[in-house]
Amino acid sequence: MNRASVQSFLYPLLTLASVGLLWIFPDTTILLVPVLGILFAGTLIRLHRWSRWSSMAFVLLIGIPVAGLENSFLFELFIQIGIYAALALGLNIVVGMAGLLDLGYAAFFAIGAYTWAIFGSPQANQFIEGGHFPLPGWPYFYLFMALAVITAALVGVLIGLPALRLRGDYLAIVTLGLGEVVRVLANNLDHPVNITNGPKGISPVERPPVDWILAITDRLGLTLQTNHAVALFFYGLVLVVMLAIVLINRRLDRSRFGRAWVAIREDEIAARSMGIPLLRTKVLAFATGAAFSGVMGAIFSAKQLFVSPESFTLLQSITILAMVILGGMGSIQGALLGAAAVTLLNIEVLKSLSEGLNHLRQTGFVLDLGFIEYNFANLSSQLEPAKYERMIFGLIMVLMMIFRPAGLIPETRHKLELEARRKGKAS
Amino acid sequence: MSLVIRDITKRFGGLVAVDGVNLEVQRGEIFSVIGPNGAGKTSLFNVLTGVYRPDCGTITWEGRRISRLAPESIARRGVARTFQNIRLFGAMTVFENVLVAQHSHASYSYLDAMFRTRRFHRQEHRIARKVMDLLDYFGFAEKAEELARNLPYGDQRRLEIARALALEPRLLLLDEPAAGMNPKETDVLRDFIRTIRDDFSLTILLIEHHMNMVMSLSDRVAVLDYGRKIAEGQPAEIRRNPAVIEAYLGASAIGAVTTDA
Repeated sequence: MNRASVQSFLYPLLTLASVGLLWIFPDTTILLVPVLGILFAGTLIRLHRWSRWSSMAFVLLIGIPVAGLENSFLFELFIQIGIYAALALGLNIVVGMAGLLDLGYAAFFAIGAYTWAIFGSPQANQFIEGGHFPLPGWPYFYLFMALAVITAALVGVLIGLPALRLRGDYLAIVTLGLGEVVRVLANNLDHPVNITNGPKGISPVERPPVDWILAITDRLGLTLQTNHAVALFFYGLVLVVMLAIVLINRRLDRSRFGRAWVAIREDEIAARSMGIPLLRTKVLAFATGAAFSGVMGAIFSAKQLFVSPESFTLLQSITILAMVILGGMGSIQGALLGAAAVTLLNIEVLKSLSEGLNHLRQTGFVLDLGFIEYNFANLSSQLEPAKYERMIFGLIMVLMMIFRPAGLIPETRHKLELEARRKGKAS
Repeated sequence: MSLVIRDITKRFGGLVAVDGVNLEVQRGEIFSVIGPNGAGKTSLFNVLTGVYRPDCGTITWEGRRISRLAPESIARRGVARTFQNIRLFGAMTVFENVLVAQHSHASYSYLDAMFRTRRFHRQEHRIARKVMDLLDYFGFAEKAEELARNLPYGDQRRLEIARALALEPRLLLLDEPAAGMNPKETDVLRDFIRTIRDDFSLTILLIEHHMNMVMSLSDRVAVLDYGRKIAEGQPAEIRRNPAVIEAYLGASAIGAVTTDA
């Protein structure tokens, strides 16, 4: 047996083991980490097709949903990861592939979110007469997902056309400014006509109905609470949209457009001299990234029920950028891993660490190693890892830049496809 | 006349890099531009390919004006180039580097790429095949999957030429292709340039410092000095031209070189 066969055999077993662990202890949210870790490993190591796809399908379609119905925080976590993954993939096209440093990327997320929030809540009644709003979740939410894609892409083109004539640092500053403009607009467009409801934000935002999920589970003999059905629904929706985005991203990457993006990143003058239209190619990258962000914005607003300018700050843009850099610029798996790692670190790992320390403190646990004795009751209540999120984060980024500047999963150019082409030529 | 350069001037602040240059290059010719360092040869190439906008003057190629067009538009009119300091797409494979130059030879849309339509597959297959043929021609087939930045220097120089040819140009501008090569490699390159001229029916404009190569390869030669054209003619005429010798070696050398010749 060769190595790939052995791995193909072991991989599903490992997957089962990690999922099993999560099923046995569904309340131990941190057990999602090995599950996701093994999921990622599957995209990197050599595996036979059946092994890779069956294991991944098992995790995503059965493993996580079953555990999630026990502990809906798992759904919440995965939805967060999925949303950030889509954002990271979008920004990865702009920054990673095309090499255009965009510091205002959260603006497109905001545009997607407000697109649905305004019309999927009573908010639109403020400036459109007749009390037609909120629009019902079915079918309008799905329509507005598409509309959010179009709006975000259009704004991407509009912002891109002037901004993308600039390069490097100048582009970064201008996108930073334009990103803030969108947030400030959201903050102030409550007068003279109340469009965004200003800093108070918009709520409640309609959600698409989930009766059909309840109907299906009823028929299967499961009784689901509505909030579980909603969590399951958003899990599925985010999963589908994220996978669609991964697929589109891969396909674009392996087309003349993806190659043009990378060529422009590598050497603008050489790329132009080879007939690649500079501005058009850059705007295309910008609009594609914006579109990914827009659709997740719409989902985000429905999931949160509430949208306010708070969610679309510069910090948000930088967090997404950090995911791309951490994962590996220009690499799709990198963007996914970066999003998962940062999200888990932010909302799970540090929090569990804090809770763990708190628990030790409250129970007055005494650490006795013989030569050193420490009572955790004396531990300062200031020491809470969750509060050091940004510091730990910054530290990780610095270490990454020193030891692994190309990211966790650096970009690789596709070799397999070339082999396929060569075979095509021979036949 | 295939390529006509009229009164092209390019200034950078007070410096006149190219000063009222006139050139006419015939179809199928190998035309060399020589001159001391800083004479404005590369600036002339950059004006020709649209990287710089000329301050005045016009350039026509195949009867149409190409001066003041964007580089990508000039490239689409069949003008390709290599660079003095290699400008490959380092993080892309050899295959992809060459494939990029086929960008404008595929016309499938963004949506075609997204939905993997038949149009996409047909065109991708066609351009990939052309590129593989070109890589075979250059002897790069075995290295197709290597990253361009990992190639040895000589291969990088040749890959730049391969990439330029993938644009399917009719005019090829080579900016010091023999830079850093030893005499033997230079001889190989000289024969190679002649071969590609014939095989791809090209007009070639060449900047080069290796005089042996220039003199034995070129149909005609123009000499630039301080941005101005100081001589033009057959290689034999240029070799004897006192203004050229002065520009290259200084006034005192004239006697020595002419007696030597």
